[in-house]
Amino acid sequence: MPDIAAPQAHIDLPDTGTQTRRVESASVFWLLVVAGSLLLPLSWLLPWFVEQTASGKGNSPMDVIVSSPTGIGWFAIWVMGLCMLALFAGVGYDAWAVLTRRGQPFRYGRICAGLAALGALCVLLVVVLVASRTELVFGSTSPDVLIDNAVWMMLTGFVLLAFAYGLRGWVMNHGGLAFTAVAFAIGGLFPLMFNQAPSFVVWGAQSAGIYVLLALGLNVVVGFAGLLDLGYAAFFAIGAYTTASFAGSAHDFHLPFWILIFLGAAVAGLFGAILGFPTLRLRGDYLAIVTLGFGEIVPDLAQNNVLGLTHGPNGLSGIDTPAFPLHGGPLDFGIFGANPRPYYWTTLVLIALVVLLLRNVERSRLGRAWVAIREDEVAASATGINTVTGKLLAFAIGAAVSGFAGAFFAAELQSVTPESFQFAVSVTALTTVVLGGIGNITGVVVGAILVSFVIFWVLPSLQGWMGTLGSNIGVQQLGTIQYSDYKFIVYGLILIGIMLLRPSGLLPSRARKVELETGAESEPLAAVQERA
Amino acid sequence: MPNGEAPAAPATVSVPRRPRPNRPLATQLRLRFAASSGQAFLVLLITGFAAMVVAEFASKGVAQAGAQVVNGLQIGAIYALIAVGYTMVYGIIELINFAHGDVFTFGGMLSVWIGAGFGALGLDLTKLATSNVGGLIAALAIIFPLTMLCTGTLGVVIERVAYRRLRNAPRLAPLITAIGMSFLLQGIMFVAAGSGNYPARKDDWITGRAFTIGSVNVSWPQLFVIVIAVAMMLGLQMFVRYTRVGKAMRATAQDRDAALLSGININRTISLTFFIGSAMAAVGGIVYAIYFNLLQWNLGFKFGIIAFTAAVLGGIGNILGAGVGGFLIGLIYAFGSDLAGGEWGNSIIFAMLILVLTLRPNGLLGMRVPDRA
Amino acid sequence: MALLEVDGIVKRFGGLVAVNGVSFEVDTGEIVSMIGPNGAGKTTAFNCITGLYPLTDGDVRFDDISLVGMPPHRITKLGITRTFQNIRLFSYMTAVDNVMVGEHCRMRAKVWDDLLHTRKARREEHEVESRALATLRRLGLERYADVYARNLPYGLQRRLEIARALASGPRLLLLDEPAAGLNPNEKVELMGVISSLRDAGLTIFLIEHDMRVVMSISDRIVVLDYGEKIAEGTPAEVRENPRVIDAYLGHGASEAMRSA
Repeated sequence: MPDIAAPQAHIDLPDTGTQTRRVESASVFWLLVVAGSLLLPLSWLLPWFVEQTASGKGNSPMDVIVSSPTGIGWFAIWVMGLCMLALFAGVGYDAWAVLTRRGQPFRYGRICAGLAALGALCVLLVVVLVASRTELVFGSTSPDVLIDNAVWMMLTGFVLLAFAYGLRGWVMNHGGLAFTAVAFAIGGLFPLMFNQAPSFVVWGAQSAGIYVLLALGLNVVVGFAGLLDLGYAAFFAIGAYTTASFAGSAHDFHLPFWILIFLGAAVAGLFGAILGFPTLRLRGDYLAIVTLGFGEIVPDLAQNNVLGLTHGPNGLSGIDTPAFPLHGGPLDFGIFGANPRPYYWTTLVLIALVVLLLRNVERSRLGRAWVAIREDEVAASATGINTVTGKLLAFAIGAAVSGFAGAFFAAELQSVTPESFQFAVSVTALTTVVLGGIGNITGVVVGAILVSFVIFWVLPSLQGWMGTLGSNIGVQQLGTIQYSDYKFIVYGLILIGIMLLRPSGLLPSRARKVELETGAESEPLAAVQERA
Repeated sequence: MPNGEAPAAPATVSVPRRPRPNRPLATQLRLRFAASSGQAFLVLLITGFAAMVVAEFASKGVAQAGAQVVNGLQIGAIYALIAVGYTMVYGIIELINFAHGDVFTFGGMLSVWIGAGFGALGLDLTKLATSNVGGLIAALAIIFPLTMLCTGTLGVVIERVAYRRLRNAPRLAPLITAIGMSFLLQGIMFVAAGSGNYPARKDDWITGRAFTIGSVNVSWPQLFVIVIAVAMMLGLQMFVRYTRVGKAMRATAQDRDAALLSGININRTISLTFFIGSAMAAVGGIVYAIYFNLLQWNLGFKFGIIAFTAAVLGGIGNILGAGVGGFLIGLIYAFGSDLAGGEWGNSIIFAMLILVLTLRPNGLLGMRVPDRA
Repeated sequence: MALLEVDGIVKRFGGLVAVNGVSFEVDTGEIVSMIGPNGAGKTTAFNCITGLYPLTDGDVRFDDISLVGMPPHRITKLGITRTFQNIRLFSYMTAVDNVMVGEHCRMRAKVWDDLLHTRKARREEHEVESRALATLRRLGLERYADVYARNLPYGLQRRLEIARALASGPRLLLLDEPAAGLNPNEKVELMGVISSLRDAGLTIFLIEHDMRVVMSISDRIVVLDYGEKIAEGTPAEVRENPRVIDAYLGHGASEAMRSA
């Protein structure tokens, strides 16, 4: 066929993806460099600081290392210090070159990478020589192992710098991937760096981890498919009750945890599709209320001990502890005990898995179909998309992620009660998604961490801090306020503030940003057909 | 059909009727369902409700069933008062004002605080109310207008702060701020009133038995609640139908742009709608406080959802529909809880919510949701 | 047997009969236009054919398969795609993504492939992307592949909508007022596009108001007025038809023209 002449009109090409991606990737590189450069000095300051405030004069990290049985510790320390100084020189030169636009940045990039790698090696050497103990990983969190914090922090700093400089080209081209990889690496080392605060790890495993999963799943429904689901806690409950029923004394089933989390996801996904079905014809706001009704019925049924399965308000308890495969065999370290770290790492693995799957689906045929349905359901249908399956799949996948989280939650707490699945859970999940950025995977993860940090760590801790502060400055009342009571106000302020000031959230998804600020609502096909 | 001859301009096109094509069963079912789900719901509702009434009277006896009727009407009156706010606001800006249920609770609490305020000024309203009928009327005449004024203003402020800027945003945006507003109000009440029951101490304002029909007693508080609700509802209906401002509200509800072009002050009309809706919710809150004597910080969540169901059931945008829906839902709740046990009351209501919204979103009185293209 | 047979379709909105017993056929390889005054029921007829509106009565057959009661995406998959009178692109997607959405019903990847990013899904995604770019090139839009649809000028948006419709590999293309809002140059280009599509083997059925466009590219014309078909024939026949003239210019206009 004849080619049709290109149109004469010249138009400006507004941001064409690739440019933006470059910029983001460059900022990821600098983020890594700054984070690494900060961690290195911090690793020296932290133990000193904690010792000053908490455990009094004890063995400073230097003392421990220096008094180590082998003299090589000294040597390693010296090399480490020199590496660090040289690195700062290199990074400083780069910063100067970029900020003043003079000089040639990254001239000593390779040297920096080498120095950082050498530093990391030295740290490892110190770990092996000085500590040479496995409790650095699974061990106690008592305050006299202050040195561990410093060591892990320093290691992280060196590794970050080595990674950033060593793979600079790759990082510049794959900013998102690099960011994700590093985020997970830091997330994984996190409990080691902050073993002074075991409550932090518990928080990470129980609140942050769970809410990250919930946010990821809710984001499929709200962010990708554009359907507001206010009953999201129901699927969380279904996943949790599934696990509780099949792995515990409640019904005397004992399936392994690693099967159950997928079973919980599947059951919840099934219910998601079932709930999705009657809502297909509804417009956004009615859909929200119907899902809300569903979200209220499920804990209500559990409360009323439906079919004798849920044991009423007391819930199900005595759930089996997760164990590694081959129970009692070589791979089972018996580590899932009172120690929160293994749970934390399990959450992290689950999150990584979910992020991977959702990123895949976002960039695929189904992800595109969701965007189309969200933007204009009628046009999507006329273009050949089965909007019914599309929406049901969004509900099902979102619910499955929630069920996944629920299954893990049940295994972690070892008991489930209907109270854990109230409307507030759905609203918390919604708040995390709205705060982080509707439709953006990274955004909602950050949002979930922030929200759960404020609600489940800062607010509960605030009373203690304020009590100390109050008694120091003579205002005793500060310590008598129940700061956790203010969490509903915090939710409310976040939701209102974000929607009014920055509707696309802290880290907006590029497409959703314009949509949320200017877009119109897509009317369901069924509504159009019914009206006709 | 290539046309050889000049088209002979037929006067009427006569179409040979073909037999209906054979459609797959699934398609048939789909079409059938789409066409009849509304009627199906009506049948379900009528038969279900009738069955409930019969079962109630048969199993519990006339006395208890009659008491449940009065109970249902009385709680339904409160639902109706809240539902009015939902229906008016949805009618005019198509927003589910999620915070409305909490405005209701807030109204109830505010009436307590206002009473306390007068107590602090030296005027003990409870003493006044319990002295004689004149005193009671005086106390009510103080509490009602003041609370309605304050709560109505709260409604106006909520609209101004949280919804007005998002009027042209995608519908999800104001809905999310509405949820935020709901949590904000709940949070404030949680901090102010604590997590447990908040005593309203109005139980002795109105007491005693009003009259007895057969073996069914109707107490003064029950009569009071129902009469207030019906009177408010009728008054509001008259207001919207016959006054100039009411006409402006109806015009704005039908077509905001056209109303604007006809010189109606849209913002003022919408503010007024919020004021009236919130004031009505405040009435609900006051009578709730008088009747039940206890308030909870999150009371409005459940009541709001139920009242919204009532509004949809009655046909959203329709004030009398909200009243009818409120009473109907109240009766269903009363019978349902009595038959199945109180702990099932919520499940029944939420099941109603899902059924109404999915099967008959246009409600009983069939007022269509205005389509905004 | 014609490709598309529309047989006595009726569409009633409450009391209003928007389309009343309209029948016509479209043969393979034809360009057929539907014209009529505003409110004659043209777009409604389109919506009935593509499954957007359920029919009140009558039958629509494509390739001898009845389309009645079929959801729109199945009809698209059978080989009928359409464009919309008021352009309905996915505004916040890039041009190439819009076209890739069009390919949706031709893709075979299942949910599992999408979730796990299997080799099958990746290969298909790759193929679809290059096919979409080829479609854009075919319509002269390759420069704009990465531009958001909403940022394209109006004429190009119309063109992109045709590209999206083509992506599903249709046999019959329904265009709802493709020339509306285009300037004369763009109209000429559009006519070129349409006839080249026909040359490539497509059948085209369009609604159009612009008589120059209609008369110059149509093989046959169907005329609607008040929901009924009042005429059908070649452009020359339709131009002379007194009922058509009356419908457009008011009752008695044909008399006046004849006597003038």
